[in-house]
Amino acid sequence: MNAFAPRCPTPHASDGPLAIEAVDLVRIYHTHTGVIRRRPLDVEAVRGVSFNVRPGELLGPNGAGKTTTIKMLITLLLPTSGSARVMGYDVVRDTTDVRRRIGYVFGGDRGLYDRVSGLDNLRYFAELYGVDPAQRDRRIAALLELVGLTGRENEKVEGFSRGMRQRLHIARGLLHDPQVIFMDEPSIGLDPIGARELRQTVKTLVEAGKTVLLTTHYMFEADALCDRIAVINDGRIVASGTGDDLKQAVLNRTIVEIETFGVAPEAVDRLRDDPEVIAVNTEERDQSQILLVQSERGPEITQRLLGTLGDTRIGKVVAREPTLEDAYVHLIASTTRSDGAERAAALG
Amino acid sequence: MSLARSVRLIWWVTWFNVRMLLVSEFFVLLTFVSPLIFATLAFFLFRLGHSTGGQTLLYAALGSGMMGVWSTTLFGCGGAIAWQRWEGTLELLVNAPTRYDFILAGQAFGAVIFGFAGILMTIAWGMLLFGMPLTSTFPLLLPLSLFAAVVSLGALGMLIATSFVLYRHANALSNMLEYPIWLVAGLLVPIATLPAWVQPISWLLAPTWGMDAIRGATLQSQPPWFAIGMCFALAVVYYFLARVALRYVLHLARRDATLDLR
Repeated sequence: MNAFAPRCPTPHASDGPLAIEAVDLVRIYHTHTGVIRRRPLDVEAVRGVSFNVRPGELLGPNGAGKTTTIKMLITLLLPTSGSARVMGYDVVRDTTDVRRRIGYVFGGDRGLYDRVSGLDNLRYFAELYGVDPAQRDRRIAALLELVGLTGRENEKVEGFSRGMRQRLHIARGLLHDPQVIFMDEPSIGLDPIGARELRQTVKTLVEAGKTVLLTTHYMFEADALCDRIAVINDGRIVASGTGDDLKQAVLNRTIVEIETFGVAPEAVDRLRDDPEVIAVNTEERDQSQILLVQSERGPEITQRLLGTLGDTRIGKVVAREPTLEDAYVHLIASTTRSDGAERAAALG
Repeated sequence: MSLARSVRLIWWVTWFNVRMLLVSEFFVLLTFVSPLIFATLAFFLFRLGHSTGGQTLLYAALGSGMMGVWSTTLFGCGGAIAWQRWEGTLELLVNAPTRYDFILAGQAFGAVIFGFAGILMTIAWGMLLFGMPLTSTFPLLLPLSLFAAVVSLGALGMLIATSFVLYRHANALSNMLEYPIWLVAGLLVPIATLPAWVQPISWLLAPTWGMDAIRGATLQSQPPWFAIGMCFALAVVYYFLARVALRYVLHLARRDATLDLR
């Protein structure tokens, strides 16, 4: 599948209807600063986001502005400007038509009635979502089976693990058999097994012909699940396409991972100043810091990098091929730098 | 949405809200224990004033019970929205492909019906501890009076809940409205004893006419048709005000992104 441009042309009639179509979506939050002397403050969370999703596709925006974008698409927020349609219905005017066709699943602990059972939660939402009473119990049983909660449905939700709650969320979002499912960081806080089960559930939904728009912080998840990925930074889509398309930007690079213990900021700066080094990112672990150094020189640069770090205590060192996460870091770093330069230029 | 589907939806939300209130210690105390304390205080006060007649005790018991109903209505309608906002379910309810005014109506009726269970508790308390007789001058009108009171209080609760959808700190409003309405609606002290300028305010309140209807069917010599009629009339007015306000409030909530603010 080809990468799509941030501003997609209207599809040809033979292409079939779009599941989601967003055109120049902008959302500004009006808030204020200060307690006694309150000053108005406008926060531009989404700055002209445009994308299309066809039925049966997955798309994975990541970064600032993703929840706001989803909330505009599911009719919970009004766009400040721009427009969007879901299954052909306008998200501002045709709210009931949009809501009938979408499911919304978000991550975290909220969004369920804790003091009653999972089954009671599902029955309640089935009524709210207009599920045919004759089909309700059969539908709930099938969904409990799909998300692996059969046998646990009569327990109170307050006793559920985070993974169970997340699976209940998914069952709730699918009660009315929506055509388009929005998932906002559904794997947040899940343990590895829970996250793997969730990914399997998402795959099953896509195989069943559902359109899923999923946001995630985890690049490997986007790579594994999404036909197409869009990266949002600072309210703008900065890149989009398949996982392989995004990786192209860093394909000719080598990533050297250096485990250090108590590395000094000056040593990291020395690495950054190396003309052969493109980017350095630091990840804090329990006792160590992992330096991710991007270079076009290949693994042979490793010795030079270690020499630049001087007396720093070094642990494991690995040179590897770039992943989607490296591409993401590169995209975010480069767009943040160019934004900063633009702002500096604007300030004179 | 068909009539049958609408009724089913309201019934489901009502029943679900009653269950949610039943598992809340706060609402159990508010609905079942507080009125007993008020009723006990009132019984002793009337005894001190040498008004120990059966009708006086029933008057006090009904008033105390209605105080509990009002508290439950106020906190059960508004507080439920605040709690849903906290739990993250408010967005899901607003975003459901159904009419949110019906959901809100079901929640309000759930709170009011739960509150009326407290009246039964207060009457049982008065009968057991103070030998209060349970009489009714118009027993056939009593169910209608209760129904009218539930409908009018439910519609008022819905109107109050509308403000909670928009404002996360609207509980300050419900705290402020609890005690004054007890007084203004004549739940323990007859409205006639209040200053004349207060009385027009009383006439606009559902608890005033709900109380009049119930006391009329139990204690008065004239059937409470007027109070019952006022309950239904006010319910219609409250409901349409709530619908208009809700449309405006939901637009503002989508514009200002307030639904998930805690």
